Amino acid sequence: MKQIEGAKEIYDRIPIPAELSERIQEEVNKAARKRRRAAEIRRIRNGLTAAAAAAAVFVTALNTNTVFAENASKVPVIGSIAKVLTFRSYETETEDLKITVDIPSVEMIREDLKGTEEAVNEEIHRLCQEYGDEAVLRAREYRQAFLDTGGTEEEWAAHNIEIRVWYEIKAQTDRYLSLAVMGTESWTSAYSETRYYNFDLNTGKLLTLQDLLGENYRETADRCIRSRMEEQMETGEGVYWPDEFKGVDENTKFYVNESGNPVIVFEKYEIAPGSEGSPEFEIPREGERAG
Amino acid sequence: MKQDLYEKVVSYIVENQDKFYRLAYSYVQNEQDALDAVQNAVCKALEHYGSLKNENAVRTWMYRIVVNESLLLLKEKKRLVLTGDSLQEEASYEEKGYETGEELYSHINSLAEDVQSIIKLRFYEELPLKDIAQIMEMNLNTVKAKLYRGLKELKVVMVQEVDI
Repeated sequence: MKQIEGAKEIYDRIPIPAELSERIQEEVNKAARKRRRAAEIRRIRNGLTAAAAAAAVFVTALNTNTVFAENASKVPVIGSIAKVLTFRSYETETEDLKITVDIPSVEMIREDLKGTEEAVNEEIHRLCQEYGDEAVLRAREYRQAFLDTGGTEEEWAAHNIEIRVWYEIKAQTDRYLSLAVMGTESWTSAYSETRYYNFDLNTGKLLTLQDLLGENYRETADRCIRSRMEEQMETGEGVYWPDEFKGVDENTKFYVNESGNPVIVFEKYEIAPGSEGSPEFEIPREGERAG
Repeated sequence: MKQDLYEKVVSYIVENQDKFYRLAYSYVQNEQDALDAVQNAVCKALEHYGSLKNENAVRTWMYRIVVNESLLLLKEKKRLVLTGDSLQEEASYEEKGYETGEELYSHINSLAEDVQSIIKLRFYEELPLKDIAQIMEMNLNTVKAKLYRGLKELKVVMVQEVDI
């Protein structure tokens, strides 16, 4: 017994890295939303399918996005490089819930650019699907909570619950294609989600901030954002929490605007009070690669 | 009810994370892999908490997942970390007839997977044998037999019968 206690002592002295609690918390946070519903997802999905069959308008189509088509005619060259299609579009309306989904797909037309877009499309499709499913679950939970706390079906119906998954083309030039994919729920902004996909039309690859701003993209962007925040706070144009801004990194969200500059987007509440919405900062590129 | 169970699982995990980490570490023998194993285990647990029928079984259920994830990680990495060197060291164990805590610690890691798991759970985590039987999904007598076999192999003389 004595010997085994010696082994146990070694075991008990295994140091616990600080990272452990972070990793656990990360997993708990990640799971909290998803896992709680995991067991129910199948059931709800079945319910949805039934509802869709009974009462819904269900359109599956591969439509060329009209916005794009108009723009494409204005800038003919893009049409020959890449295009954005509506991969899937459907609308479901039950008595108390309306879901509108437009899932985009990016297609590279020039052969040498193909490759990256497949994986990106897959990700977009998966995200849209997940968002839609989860939003429906949230709506059901909300409904249940509403009814449980004394609300009536009629009052609930008046909420006009609506879920939208859609996309917007932020920029299309001969060099860049920038796309925002969004999910929103009409009753809460807490789960709104926007993802940006920025393609470099010279390579067909996804752009990084470093591609646009160069090696020192962190300093460039940080400096620009900080001075803009200060400026706006002085003039009273905006209210920020400068201490909350921890600097940009490779995961910072951005889209590319028509001038080819990256526009950094912060989540609501990330660096400013909710009244500011999602602050955006355009970071001008200094001369290089302009045009 | 379901929600309660979920919360219970989460708080059990958070409160006992150090234990899971040490147990995982005892298999994979390095920090990053141990962190990965625990994180994977937490992920699995939260994903499949629905399969946990009885909330009193949280502890044995969670230990089982941690042990499985640790072994899985070991296999995936095809590391066979300890079997390699410990086989060579085996001879020296035989000769000495006794081992320091450290030697015993690594000797334990060289035992057959199920035997070493039982020993770790019994002596490191100090779990009752009936819990270990649940964790290992074996019947109690099998666990006892394997435990004694392991102790014999380690040449650890038990002063008294292992209490259940």
